[in-house]
Amino acid sequence: MSATVMIVDDSLFMRNIIRGFMRDRGYSVVAEAGSGIETLKKLHEITPDIIFLDIILPDINGLELLESILKRCPLAKVVVCSSLGEETVLKKALGNGAKAFLHKPFTPEKVYEVLDSMEA
Amino acid sequence: MDMSQYRDLFVSESRGHLSAFNELIVRLEENAADREAIDELFRHAHSLKGMAATMQFDAITGLAHRMEDLLSKVRSDEFPFSPVLADLLLEGSDMLAGMVSMIENGVVQQPHPAALLEALSSFTPDQTGGADRKVTQETNTLSETPPADATPAPSQFRKTDTFKSVRVKTDTLDRLVTITGELITTRYRLTDQARRHAGAGLEEPLRQLSSLLRELRDEVFQARMLPFVFAAERFPRLVRDLARKQGKEISFQIVGKEIELDRGILEEITEPLVHILRNAVDHGMETPDDRVAAGKPFGGSITITVTRDKDHVDIVIADDGRGMNPVRLKEMAIEKGVITPEQADRLSAQATLMLVCAPGFSTADQVSDISGRGVGMDAVKTAVHALGGTLAIESEIGRGSRFTLRLPITVSIIHALLVDCCNMTIAFPVSAVSRTIELKRSDIFEENGRTVCAYEDRTIPVKSLNRLLGRAMPQGSGTVVPAVVVEIGDTAVGLLTDRLLGQQEIFVKPLGAPLSGMKALSGGAITGDGRIVFVVDASVFV
Repeated sequence: MSATVMIVDDSLFMRNIIRGFMRDRGYSVVAEAGSGIETLKKLHEITPDIIFLDIILPDINGLELLESILKRCPLAKVVVCSSLGEETVLKKALGNGAKAFLHKPFTPEKVYEVLDSMEA
Repeated sequence: MDMSQYRDLFVSESRGHLSAFNELIVRLEENAADREAIDELFRHAHSLKGMAATMQFDAITGLAHRMEDLLSKVRSDEFPFSPVLADLLLEGSDMLAGMVSMIENGVVQQPHPAALLEALSSFTPDQTGGADRKVTQETNTLSETPPADATPAPSQFRKTDTFKSVRVKTDTLDRLVTITGELITTRYRLTDQARRHAGAGLEEPLRQLSSLLRELRDEVFQARMLPFVFAAERFPRLVRDLARKQGKEISFQIVGKEIELDRGILEEITEPLVHILRNAVDHGMETPDDRVAAGKPFGGSITITVTRDKDHVDIVIADDGRGMNPVRLKEMAIEKGVITPEQADRLSAQATLMLVCAPGFSTADQVSDISGRGVGMDAVKTAVHALGGTLAIESEIGRGSRFTLRLPITVSIIHALLVDCCNMTIAFPVSAVSRTIELKRSDIFEENGRTVCAYEDRTIPVKSLNRLLGRAMPQGSGTVVPAVVVEIGDTAVGLLTDRLLGQQEIFVKPLGAPLSGMKALSGGAITGDGRIVFVVDASVFV
């Protein structure tokens, strides 16, 4: 069974890109969300193995959302996504239970590298 | 990995960010302390940067990055939001929009707006507007840069949950409407046949078919509906830019952004609305000095209000400017040979204001570069009528003007009132009919040289539909003549017909030449029994 993935980003464009990368690697994307509230709602129904979480969302602060996500799915591996220049937030996220981080722009290599590092 | 498959989505999502960006800047100009707006602005620049970087569009990434940097300084209170900053950010947003359009059109070579980048990174709060002159020129040389009032891309989509929605080409939706329209016509044919074969047990399945068709029609139309904001999202920016250019102070508001209209109607109505707005800013609104001198508040206001009734939508553009002077309008119309002095004397208040819609008529004493281009008010009126809608104008000197566009919610499949008129069947869109009345011969009389009848508490002109359609036959011979009352603004007219046939849903198709050249006809349709009916544009009779 391949690992299940959830993508949280308010940009449909970004979600499509990540979904494309996942599909090419045989992962199954089981859910997507464009906001923090939508994420929490969906996590009532599913428990993904991996969650790509954009740290800047329209409704909920990314760090707070991370905390709520891990409360609902303590085993989920959360990959925090952001642009360069947000190192402070990223560090905090890693300290609060995120497994890895990804800087935009995404390339397939970068994404796969992160996935491989978590498998190991 | 082939990234080109994401290009369309990149273009449409970027446009969404940029239009939200522009709207927020206008919002901040009204209230510079709106923290939430600053945060949102930052987020849009940030998202755009991330997307562009992923697509390796370096020029967009670089520019968005500088804008984001600048905004983060406002966010951390390093300096306040100011009009000069707003101008600079809008320059940036225009440049980005131009770059996105270039990507959409497959232009590989992206511009490097050195002066703009420099202005963004070296911006200080005590800067005055003078420094940006150079930047403005740079933006203008970018041939792909759409002006602030460029038509939004038809490919823009609604933000929805991706799993629950798909993007559909608008052609497909148009075909669905056509098929549904033909199905409705076929249903009438079936009903007609069933009547001739009574007892064949067709009634029940036909009833079922009718109800399913109604549902299908509603669903198909719903799929074509878009909120008004799709047409209006660039209006705040347009009004702001025009007002600034002329040193006018205008607060602009849109009420009812969420009201939905058919995509086709929205498309057709956008340019006419832009024209009315331009006129309102350019001619309608006084300068702050003139306003104060006239005892009015320093800043003027323009409001678009959209409301929906059962089968039509009203769009009202109201300003509190100087209003139109009917005496001057008549003088100008006579001067330009639009009407004779005798005709001018007989014009009603509404008809006088409608003179601005006469071809070649302009209310400005000199044509300014702002509303002098593009469509004239005659084109606005034509566009509204072509959609089966009506345009009414109200105005009061010193108080302002109101333009009311009454539009059907959907095109092509309409409820129509069918009437017989010298062996032809004529269809009036129900939305255009105020009432039907039955007149006795004695109800019709002469008044001031016009044929009129009593209607409610006044008299209205009565015209023979036969004659209006170019037929010389006398109207009916019965003692009672049925008439259709059509009203536009405060002007009504009773149209005499031979017989009222009742209401029916019809699928309107455009007429081909030479019929399409007839002013009074807006389309044709086929009824269940195979008759051809002509749909009239009743407004030309008023």
